[in-house]
Amino acid sequence: MKALFITLLFALSLPLGLYSAEDLHVVSHDAADAVAGHAEDGGVISELAGNFGITWPTLIAQMVNFCIVAIVLYKFAVKPIVATLDERQQKIADGLQYAEEMKAQLAAAERERAEKIKEAAVDAQRILNESREQSKEMIEQKTQEAAAQAEAIIRKASEATEQERKKMLTEVRQEVARLVVATSSKVLSRDLSDTEKSTFSESAAKELASAGN
Amino acid sequence: MKRDKKITQLAKKLVELSKDDNGAVTEAKVSEVLAGLKQVKHRHHLTVLKSYLGYLRREVALQTAVVATPSALSDAALKEIEANYTKLYGRPISAVTTQDTSLIAGVRVHVGDDVYDASVSGRLQRLAENVH
Repeated sequence: MKALFITLLFALSLPLGLYSAEDLHVVSHDAADAVAGHAEDGGVISELAGNFGITWPTLIAQMVNFCIVAIVLYKFAVKPIVATLDERQQKIADGLQYAEEMKAQLAAAERERAEKIKEAAVDAQRILNESREQSKEMIEQKTQEAAAQAEAIIRKASEATEQERKKMLTEVRQEVARLVVATSSKVLSRDLSDTEKSTFSESAAKELASAGN
Repeated sequence: MKRDKKITQLAKKLVELSKDDNGAVTEAKVSEVLAGLKQVKHRHHLTVLKSYLGYLRREVALQTAVVATPSALSDAALKEIEANYTKLYGRPISAVTTQDTSLIAGVRVHVGDDVYDASVSGRLQRLAENVH
């Protein structure tokens, strides 16, 4: 902006400079031109300047005024505007940079989100597989336990049945033996004669008498 | 407790005094002991007598073979039994007979707490017990 202003200032002052240089050139060569009779071009310019009312003091004053106005404008108008524009441009650049950063961050966040979703899907699948495996193992374990319990129950029932059978058999045997003994006692008591009893008692006494020897 | 112990020891000594040279308790010896006790007049006379009676009964039971039989036994058989158990226990054993028709036939001998059974009912009972 500053360069633009300076360029504009030079562009405006250039014709005046050219004009003044031409005018000086005309003044220095007036005599020669008069002599040579070739004062046609310089005379036209001077004539035009005269027609437009351009005189050296006025031109210098205008140049000074112009410079003063230019300086004042530069100082109090162009400079704040330039600063404002620079600040605005900086803000825009910052905003664009911020937008770019945000875009990059958004892309990164999107990628991260996608990765996390992928990881979560993998984890979920893994957990699902583990749960299936565990449930399968648990089912097998429970099945085995149930089979073992059933087998134990059957075995206990079989043992109980066997014990009950043995007990009943023993009771039957004992009862039969008791009946046999009772019957035998009655039969022997009734059928043995006194002589036979005495003979058996003598024999038993001798048996006991010789038992310790 | 201490008094009971002394009375017990005294009763056991009295029982020992009631035996003759063969170690058998005889009526004469017991009479002598009783006479002695009567003279001494122990402070716990009745208790001593009761304890003495208990030990004396036990000693007599140990020296007696009670032969239970449904019918009478011959003297020879009784003598054999006496001789056998005298030899077996190492002390004089005298046999006494009792009638027990529940034995059907045979004999059953009690010596103290020991029982020797050779009766028909005993054998049948053992047979029944051995059947399982």
